[in-house]
Amino acid sequence: MEEEQLVRLAQEGSPAAFEELVTKYQPKVFSMALSFTRNREAADDLAQEIFLKAYLALPRFHGKSEFGTWLYRISVNHIKDFLRKKGRAKEVSLDDVPEVSFSDREQTEKAQEERETEARRTLVQRFVQSLPEKYRVIVTLRDIQGLAYEDISRILRLSPGTVDSRLHRARRMLRLKLAPYLTAEGGANELSQG
Amino acid sequence: MNCLKAEKLLLRSLDGRLDGRPRDLLAKHLEACPACRKAEAQYRSMFSLLKADGATAPLPRFWERLEPRLREETELVPLLFWERWSLRAIPVFLALVILIGGFHFFAPQARELSQSATLLIENRDPLSETQALFDADKPDTQTMMLLFASLDEKSPARRPTP
Repeated sequence: MEEEQLVRLAQEGSPAAFEELVTKYQPKVFSMALSFTRNREAADDLAQEIFLKAYLALPRFHGKSEFGTWLYRISVNHIKDFLRKKGRAKEVSLDDVPEVSFSDREQTEKAQEERETEARRTLVQRFVQSLPEKYRVIVTLRDIQGLAYEDISRILRLSPGTVDSRLHRARRMLRLKLAPYLTAEGGANELSQG
Repeated sequence: MNCLKAEKLLLRSLDGRLDGRPRDLLAKHLEACPACRKAEAQYRSMFSLLKADGATAPLPRFWERLEPRLREETELVPLLFWERWSLRAIPVFLALVILIGGFHFFAPQARELSQSATLLIENRDPLSETQALFDADKPDTQTMMLLFASLDEKSPARRPTP
């Protein structure tokens, strides 16, 4: 069934139609919430609240934008509210960087690589969380979620020029913070020596 | 081209949004600038680490957990609607009371005509009714009639004054 039809049926009160919409968008909404919270349970709670909010707001959806864009807008605003209530993200210090021991000879090379990558990923995400909110949101939407510039512009109700310049600043800020942990060859420096 | 401009073009290039002459200019700059080459490598590394980890699956039974909440909220909606509107209704009601009160207070009211005025308008002698009182023979009867007539009068101004 077409998405427009599903939305119309859901607006008329069909739970089955809304269930289909939830099934379609749940992974994306969950993934977005997870990008911001880094916690599966919190992300799941947020996703539930976002769909609840969307369901109650359905009568006010007039189809001026796509349903997905509208839902992402609700998601971003809800997540921002959640993060504001939760308080500012902690400043990332070197103490927060997970310890990765490279000297463990017993581990296989593959397992070691996986651990290193995971540690680096965690580090990068912590740095993202330490960015000011407007930069954190835009980096998450573009570089973590991979949304198109046009979609970001519609979701955040920003001009394409503002999206471009804000993203540029955010990425630059992030690279400068991460520079000590990124190698010139495109890999990453060791996080700590065991 | 300076390094700041090159960085801007570099990010556009990594997004796949750079072509034509700017791309050639950037390539030339990167060839000559080790700092920008290093920045390029760092950005590539950063982007690969930032990409969402698709392996993180949502918690199971999402819809089964969501559906009862939707039902519960939907049942609450009329209640919330009434609560919201009842709060708004109070100032509206007060404004209406003030408006209607003000209208009644300031609106010109039709003046009630006195008995004499009515008789004059009807071209009748206003003294003809009271004349009977004064025509009474006995002074006691005259006084009693005057007393009862004064009690019948609506307007206190028309009562006989001592």
